[in-house]
Amino acid sequence: MIRLGLRLTLRSGREALLRVAGTAVAVALGVGLLLCALAGVNGLHAQADRGAWLDTSAQTAPSTSGGSTAEPLWWLYSVDQYGSQAIDRVDVAATGPNSPIPPGIRHLPGAGELYASPALTSLMASVPPSELGDRFPGHQVGIIGASALPSPESLVVVVGNDVHQLSRVPGAAKVRGIQQSLANCFSCQSNSGSGSGPILKWILAGAAVVLFVPVLILIATASRLSAARREERFAAMRLIGATPHQVSAIAAVEASVAAVAGVAVGFVLYFLLRLLLVHVQFTGAPLAPGDLSLTWTDVLVVVIGIPIAAVASARAGLRRVRISPLGVTRRVTSPPPGAARMIPLLAGVALLAYFAIAGKPQGNTSQMVELVGGLLLILVGLMLAGPWLTRMGSQLMAARANRVATLIAGRRLLDNPRAAFRSISGLVLALFVTSAAIGALGSIVASTSQVGGPRSADTVAVQFCGLTTSCDFSNSVRTVPAAEVAKLRNAPGVRDVTVVHVDPSAAQRMNGVGVVSCGALAKTPAIGKCVPRADVAAIGFFLGQNEVAKSPSLKVWPPAGLSTASIAGLPVEAVVFATDGSSSALEQARTSLVQAFPFQGPPVVVDAIGPSQLRLLAMIRNLTQVVVVASLIIAACSLAVNIAAGLSERKRPFGLLRLTGVPTAVLRRVVALESALPLLMVAVVSIVVGLLAAALFLRSQLDFTFRVPGLAYWATVVCGLAASLAIIASTFPLLSRMTGPEVARND
Amino acid sequence: MTIVSASSGVEVGGVILEAQGLVLSFGETPALRGANLSVERGEVLAVMGPSGSGKSTLLYCLAGILVPDAGVVRFDGRRLDDQSEKERSKLRRDRFGFVFQFGQLVPELTAEENVALPLLLGGTPRAEALTVARGWFERLGLEGMECHRTGEMSGGQAQRVALARGLVAQPDVLFADEPTGSLDSLNGEVVMDLLTRAARDQGTTVIIVTHEARVAAYADREVVVRDGLVTSTASATR
Repeated sequence: MIRLGLRLTLRSGREALLRVAGTAVAVALGVGLLLCALAGVNGLHAQADRGAWLDTSAQTAPSTSGGSTAEPLWWLYSVDQYGSQAIDRVDVAATGPNSPIPPGIRHLPGAGELYASPALTSLMASVPPSELGDRFPGHQVGIIGASALPSPESLVVVVGNDVHQLSRVPGAAKVRGIQQSLANCFSCQSNSGSGSGPILKWILAGAAVVLFVPVLILIATASRLSAARREERFAAMRLIGATPHQVSAIAAVEASVAAVAGVAVGFVLYFLLRLLLVHVQFTGAPLAPGDLSLTWTDVLVVVIGIPIAAVASARAGLRRVRISPLGVTRRVTSPPPGAARMIPLLAGVALLAYFAIAGKPQGNTSQMVELVGGLLLILVGLMLAGPWLTRMGSQLMAARANRVATLIAGRRLLDNPRAAFRSISGLVLALFVTSAAIGALGSIVASTSQVGGPRSADTVAVQFCGLTTSCDFSNSVRTVPAAEVAKLRNAPGVRDVTVVHVDPSAAQRMNGVGVVSCGALAKTPAIGKCVPRADVAAIGFFLGQNEVAKSPSLKVWPPAGLSTASIAGLPVEAVVFATDGSSSALEQARTSLVQAFPFQGPPVVVDAIGPSQLRLLAMIRNLTQVVVVASLIIAACSLAVNIAAGLSERKRPFGLLRLTGVPTAVLRRVVALESALPLLMVAVVSIVVGLLAAALFLRSQLDFTFRVPGLAYWATVVCGLAASLAIIASTFPLLSRMTGPEVARND
Repeated sequence: MTIVSASSGVEVGGVILEAQGLVLSFGETPALRGANLSVERGEVLAVMGPSGSGKSTLLYCLAGILVPDAGVVRFDGRRLDDQSEKERSKLRRDRFGFVFQFGQLVPELTAEENVALPLLLGGTPRAEALTVARGWFERLGLEGMECHRTGEMSGGQAQRVALARGLVAQPDVLFADEPTGSLDSLNGEVVMDLLTRAARDQGTTVIIVTHEARVAAYADREVVVRDGLVTSTASATR
């Protein structure tokens, strides 16, 4: 039977061969895109894994490759920044010659030595030391190798320290092994690390899902290409005596031949597309050469899995029809999708809206139920509502059509709204997730960068005892000598320096940062102001990472009931620099603060998000944009395959219409409308619902004002849609070829 | 010369379509080798001949679907063979109607929408086009089939719908390529009867390609195409 199937597939004339070739090409397109998605996700994992050593913590398991558990390494990780670029800084101090060595360097730096990444080395060489280089004590003894850099452009520094000095620094940990990859990073919790490990894992998993689902839908669509013609042929075979079992076996052979050929061509396509893919910055940072690669598992899954899936899809397709010797009939005419399909979507929106109005529920579990429940309901609801929305849209289009193209396209969509929606259903997932993510993140970033007003960007502060570290007040900087303050104040670009002292009241320490004299506070208005005639204010949290929703510059801090003289001797909690706002002054201020108060955490701009979170947000934004464009293009490829299938079904009526004088432009409009309408409708609905979900979530959970995403997002969506429409338009030549005068032949 | 019929008020007489020395080959295979033909306004002409004789090719040249390698086609006194594809398409759309053997209805559209297609293409508003289209259903014995789709109609019914589509825009010439080829004899006769009656009523010239004598019997005149040449012409007995 297999031999017969092969003979029928390959030697049944030009049309049969063309049909198999068409299916193979469509499968190849899907496989090529699937391999690109796999390579992209692998690249992201490789990038994340190379940076995983920065997440090293006391909980990291001892490494087998080197190091001794008896001679741990003192480790302190922090994220500094230069401009908007994050700098990963690791302070280390070896307790012995066998202390674990981070990747990318041969030896551990001794006290007064440092290793820097190539990009940081270049940056330090290009800017004055007072703006950057002076933050890192010692001299550079080497370059950190590519194996330790997430991206060739990563700014990383490993600074060697004296063991006794580093061991006394709060937050420094004794590590017995270096984190090798993200795979087991849940144990480290990342509080002491870069803070992005576990989040990154979820993001990568999410990106993989939203990329793979549309591609798999494309492959499924492709494997059913020209099924109608195949079924007609099978009916003819039944007429001459073939049994249903034989027909099914032949269908399986035909599907697997097309799929195997498609997989082979798909690999070629992947190698061609990879040349373009290396230029895509998934996370904003370029991938290193070799990151875009496939594992043997990926290759095996695709090579074996796709033909098996194609055979299963072909057999499932045959089950939906009854092939008798007298022809092909559909087994079931499914009823049109009803309005009840909107219920889960509306329920999801209603759930989020309820909490947006009533306020967020108490407790983490209830909040997770709201978030996950609401978003999942909406996502499932969108997938269910899609066919109904397609039906409604096409009904409207067909009912109001005054032009032939609109009428035919509307009727075609109305005929089978489920099939019309199926080919682009992957897009719903991608656009909803990305729009919700961009909507929420964009609003958070916009809120934090705008609420502070013009003063927010010119004030830098270092806080010695933030909320996130377990603060031992004995370790606080006890005093800042007046001479030191004067020196800092005289630095170029610095307008004034304000010192915030530790609040003597333990109860108040829990709710705020410290106490500050109103005279000093008036000189650094970015962190708030005193009530009139107050002498000392009890100042609350003012650094961006602590409370991003409210601008501290708008805060009026309550009086502390202390005198300026009485707080002068209290330990120092924070030092705040007001600068002239120039980047040079800001960087010099940062450098001065790092030099004056080493190991106290990187100075941050008041009202701004910390560099680590900023980097994560930028990464999510970049990844989201890549996913938006990729999913739109994949959806368009599915549509193109659908167009080919639709044209093959309607070759004769369309061809005869052309003969009767119907311009090809009219038929092109039919094809364009049939594809573009569901694409645009689904895109609009998914984006609107995604943004709505983001707005409701922000309101309920974070009390943020929702902001419509900026131009960059819309430009990405428009470019993605334009690329999709271009892919749809690329099928037009097929229309002209398939509907030529030869279709009039009465054979 | 054009004569107006006193009974129907439509123009009859005078040459509407003329072919002189048509030559056309498909690759190395000659299909027409110098065919000549003249068709009178309002005439019902049957083009007969065995399979592969070139009769369908002749019809497509006359309709401006194919352009001959040599020779001249004139419609209403104007050369058709030297017009651009766009001009010929417009002519086919506005002045000609077509009926093919099978598979010409758009499967997604209802019967009445299929009939209304030529009117919609000509810019007639939808409601008006559908009203005109519905008028043909009674005339062709298809009452109640207006909202049926292709799959819900028999071959004879579908062919009658196609006939209505070919005539609804009142074309000058209706080209029918084996219009009864896929029908049984009874349905074939019904279709031919309706076709010729409706065409005569509105003065439409009809050119029917067929290899069946009983179909040709509905024509005013028959010509026979053999080996790419119009070899004989005779008035029908009808």
